[in-house]
Amino acid sequence: MKIMVAVKQVAALDEDFEFRDDELDVDEDFLLYDLNEWDDFSLEEAMKIKEASASPVEVVVVSVGPDRVDESLRKCLAKGADRAIRVWDDAMEGSDSITVGRILAAVARKESPDMIFAGVQSSDQANASTGISTAAYLDWPHAAVVAGLDYAPGADQAVVTRELEAGALQQVEVACPSVLTIQLGINKPRYASLRGIKQAAAIPIEELSLGDLGLTGDDVGAGAALSRVRRMYVPTKGRASMIEGTPAEQAARIIEIINEFKGV
Amino acid sequence: MLKPFDMTAGTLIAAAIASGDVYQAAAVYELAHGVERERLDEILFGNRRNALMLARWEHTPAAVLQALASLWGQAVRQRVEKHLRTSAKTLLKLYEEESDSNLLVLIAQHRHTPAPVLESMAAGSEQEAVLKAVASNPAATVETLRNLHARFPIRFHASLATHPLAPADILEWLYARGNEYVQAAVVAHGHCPEHLFAEAALSGSSLIVRHLAGNSRLPIKLQVKLASSADISVRRSMANNPNLRPELLFVLAKDESIDIRRAIAGRRDLPSAVLESMVEDEDHWVRQHIARHPAMPKTYLGKLAQDVNPEVRRAVARNPECPAELLEQLATDKHEWVRSGVAYHPHAGAQLMNVLANDVSVDVLSGVASNPQTPQLILRCLAQADDENIRRGVILNPQASIRILRQLLEDPYYLHRVLLMSNSVLRDEDKWPLHEDPDPAVRFATMRWFTEKILTMRRV
Repeated sequence: MKIMVAVKQVAALDEDFEFRDDELDVDEDFLLYDLNEWDDFSLEEAMKIKEASASPVEVVVVSVGPDRVDESLRKCLAKGADRAIRVWDDAMEGSDSITVGRILAAVARKESPDMIFAGVQSSDQANASTGISTAAYLDWPHAAVVAGLDYAPGADQAVVTRELEAGALQQVEVACPSVLTIQLGINKPRYASLRGIKQAAAIPIEELSLGDLGLTGDDVGAGAALSRVRRMYVPTKGRASMIEGTPAEQAARIIEIINEFKGV
Repeated sequence: MLKPFDMTAGTLIAAAIASGDVYQAAAVYELAHGVERERLDEILFGNRRNALMLARWEHTPAAVLQALASLWGQAVRQRVEKHLRTSAKTLLKLYEEESDSNLLVLIAQHRHTPAPVLESMAAGSEQEAVLKAVASNPAATVETLRNLHARFPIRFHASLATHPLAPADILEWLYARGNEYVQAAVVAHGHCPEHLFAEAALSGSSLIVRHLAGNSRLPIKLQVKLASSADISVRRSMANNPNLRPELLFVLAKDESIDIRRAIAGRRDLPSAVLESMVEDEDHWVRQHIARHPAMPKTYLGKLAQDVNPEVRRAVARNPECPAELLEQLATDKHEWVRSGVAYHPHAGAQLMNVLANDVSVDVLSGVASNPQTPQLILRCLAQADDENIRRGVILNPQASIRILRQLLEDPYYLHRVLLMSNSVLRDEDKWPLHEDPDPAVRFATMRWFTEKILTMRRV
């Protein structure tokens, strides 16, 4: 049995940063990269299934991105993933989340997994659509915001608990294979052991190109994207303002504002 | 591999240079000079990305920040000017060269900015934001505050009224002309002229009077008056007055307001008679506070140990004077939070730790792990717990053996490995291998440990 886990290396920003000259993104010098927080949970969910199964389960992590993504893939290997695949071609630059879904679907056709896990969203772009678009391209069932999973490896259905608003939960049967987008808090992700980290350094990361996946430049990148970034910017100051005065004065003003919002 | 006994500044720097690692280089930077310093500069400052990261990273040493201050332009400079570790010397240099008004504010508000810089800003700047930052900076001297006040008598009332060094004459001036909030801040101030106390007490303003009630210099006569104020907020403030008269503790301990009784119960200066009077309080927070008070008579501790509320029972278990028989009783409490309190108690003996080590609660086991009375055999088992909180308890246990700590040097949680760098039981040769740890924070902490050891030896 094989579980494919789609992971992403996300960019984090500090409070001060600059945009690129083309105003389409933040200057890369200001970005700090790490594994997407949701993907820690989806990998852990795959590992739990692997470790609880009497029959072999292979966990394969896949990511789309340039060389620097290897660091995040090695973190996954250090936590126990069996294989790591990175997909990249310069033509993929500018791909939106739907296009990345197409790429991941192509990987899935090659790997033939029994299940695909992805995070609900990424902490940087927050589109929350990559996992679902992967399912769409594969024409697979899917369930989003999975906060609980009851699945036996190789079973033809899974029962998932989905997290809705106001604390409500929804229990859903999903035919398998399927794509599940995994929510934070579904489990407690492990730390990679030092031994695991050292072993992961020696495991080769498979690199796939467009040709390996049967895709062309027309299938990916900005040209194939269904959305296109026009501009990235920080809006001029909105409703935020500094509350001045002594601490007591500031506290009184905060109370005033709260009461205004409450309509008191 | 280098032998730690050969650890000199030269060998430490050579290791950092050979590694090419930014974090190792940052850790040893201030040890290096000349050619070695240049080699480290190449590693640290060779690209803007690293410079930005170092200028933001909370552990970056002051010497590295000083070098960064003149590199890679405004974005890096801005981060250095905000960084908590930036030294006075660096801030002085930045001030001398800084022309960007937005960045001058950062210098004006930095706690390490030298007094002469703040004086210069107070005397010469026209920018509101800069002057306001100076008026609020605790590093500003009395002279600086006077200059600011003389230049702008009415602009920075709030900042001056709350500045810890504001002198009495300025406070008096502010009281006479400021709004109600400024007046309240003045009467709460440690330098408030005494003659203002009586005036404030008659102001009729609840805000002013309750601020007055919190002033530790409040005369006895006014304390007595305010302790019986009809205004709950005033009595509450009185209950928190650091110099509250002992007889007033009794009075306020019986106040009808729960908030006031809670404030009294939380005080460390309560005599046993006051503590006793609060044992039957209907509010469990009151009982919880006093249960933890070291002056609580033991007979009453026994009563509180049977309290219906588990937080109260836990507070008894956390009382430093809790007798052994009560700890034994509470070790079998049905509530894990109470048992955990016993597990953390430094006087709970090895026998109790043996019992509690069989508990299933993470909170209890974390307490056992950190307890100096816990036998080493148990610590060895807990050092292999799945839960990192339990393992961390072992790391923080001052009695954990070197053998156990050595095992924990392989702990998967990087912060645990960082913690172990400052452990005094582990030897240098145990710590040294972590200079090549996969985690950058661990590598930095290791090299920093050795760097600071060398710096300390140089200072002796």
